[in-house]
Amino acid sequence: MSKAFIAVAGAALIALGASGLAWSGHDDDDHDRKGHREGKGLMARGDLAAVTNALYRTECGGCHFAYQPGLLPAASWVQVMGTLDNHFGDDATLDQALSDELLAYLEANAADRNDRVRSRAFAARPIQGEGPPRITRTAYFQRKHDEVPVRYVKDNPKVGSFSNCQACHRGADTGDFNEHQVNIPGVGRFED
Amino acid sequence: MNVKPMTVFALAVGLGLGTHLVSAATGDDLITTYQRQGAGPFSAAAGARAWTAKHLPEGPGEQRSCVICHGTDLTKPGKHATTGKPIEPLAVSANSERLTDPAKVEKWFGRNCRWTLGRDCTPQEKGDFVRYIQSL
Amino acid sequence: MSNPNEPASGHQGPHATAIPSTDRVRVWDPVVRFFHWALGAAVLIAFLTEDELLGPHTWAGYIALTLIGARLLWGLIGPRHARWWDFVRGPRVTLAYLGDVLRGRAARYLGHNPAGAAMVIALLAGVTATALTGMAVLGAGEFAGPLAPYLQGVSATTAHDLAEVHEFIANATLFLIPLHLLGVVLASLQHRENLIRGMIDGYKRGASQ
Repeated sequence: MSKAFIAVAGAALIALGASGLAWSGHDDDDHDRKGHREGKGLMARGDLAAVTNALYRTECGGCHFAYQPGLLPAASWVQVMGTLDNHFGDDATLDQALSDELLAYLEANAADRNDRVRSRAFAARPIQGEGPPRITRTAYFQRKHDEVPVRYVKDNPKVGSFSNCQACHRGADTGDFNEHQVNIPGVGRFED
Repeated sequence: MNVKPMTVFALAVGLGLGTHLVSAATGDDLITTYQRQGAGPFSAAAGARAWTAKHLPEGPGEQRSCVICHGTDLTKPGKHATTGKPIEPLAVSANSERLTDPAKVEKWFGRNCRWTLGRDCTPQEKGDFVRYIQSL
Repeated sequence: MSNPNEPASGHQGPHATAIPSTDRVRVWDPVVRFFHWALGAAVLIAFLTEDELLGPHTWAGYIALTLIGARLLWGLIGPRHARWWDFVRGPRVTLAYLGDVLRGRAARYLGHNPAGAAMVIALLAGVTATALTGMAVLGAGEFAGPLAPYLQGVSATTAHDLAEVHEFIANATLFLIPLHLLGVVLASLQHRENLIRGMIDGYKRGASQ
């Protein structure tokens, strides 16, 4: 093994390591916004930041799981909040002031506005399909759930649909979606 | 003057019952609002009938009714038709929080009437619903 | 001054007489020592955080890669015992040395002995492969990290496979660690010296005894 090879290999590894550290240390959207500013990626615990806005939890967690803002990019939240009169088949209208406040919280903590790797992944690819943006139609969601048999979810009365996160992700409400904690009701633990 | 104990007792009971009859029931402030909007008198029976009425949506989809999410027995919890999320009972007798927040009541009337009937409920319809919910 | 490519002394064996401890030689330079413990820490952190705490886990991997890259270069330009040519041996010499170890008559080396050298290579290769496959998993599975743009077209199945490979290589590398600790303890006992302290302060007993 020649010295030149070792030298090149050493330089290459340093470059890779350094590029990784540089990539992780990116610092975007650091300015102060209404709504809670997320912590840096290194210190973040859990996959997604938990919902911190009590209003969001009441208004948007009343009919379905309170989806963390980090599950969609900011532009998608704008779309969702702009079509509340036809919110996936339901009327979820809110008065304008409340709607504006909630949108500010959602945008500030959206997938493309925080540092957590597993949150940013939701914003990495554009969402396919027509109509309002669905978390379950993001490329990242589909990649993570493509080995889950449909019968465990859609044909499972205790789950019903992939939108029902906390049925299987028992820590979903705190932002913990780790696959090691998945427990599908009627089936048991599931890891792929 | 010799007042018999029994008389005092009867008076006390009478006053007690009387004040109970004239005290406000939860949701009466809503009734007053609807009366000021020109509606009334309201009837729990009319509310009960409207509760189970079915409505066809514009465009594709199943028939809609209050029953789909809230059920026919308002003293029991309901369930959101799409998400399955449990809904606390609507009857005041089963859930003392109901009808106490006018803003919340108007918000849900707005959304749910538009979804179920395809339009906002009239003050008359709202008042009938309130009476129905109070009566259970 | 002994030839750096030969064992430090003749067969020393377990029956040698006690040697005064004032004769100390600086064997490990600060770069080598820092690298050793920093890499151990990085591997430990990566192992403990796994994919539960993805932030620290990936940082540990990047730091490990950078450390290894720097050590590769240092092995070309650093002091004698840091250099690759000081201690890396071919398979025949290494196996013969292992035989000597088992018979309790292994020669003592100031720098890494041939078995230790083999462990160095194995660990460096293992940690590097783990970190590189980890970056691939990050790019293909989490759409993150510097490799993500190059892994755009990777299918979900391949992403799963990459994760399996990463896990396998990581486990294989971790398996080496108890062997490494065993080797250090064994060599310490056979040559009556504290190799762990040696990797902390850099000193070992001199070679002339």
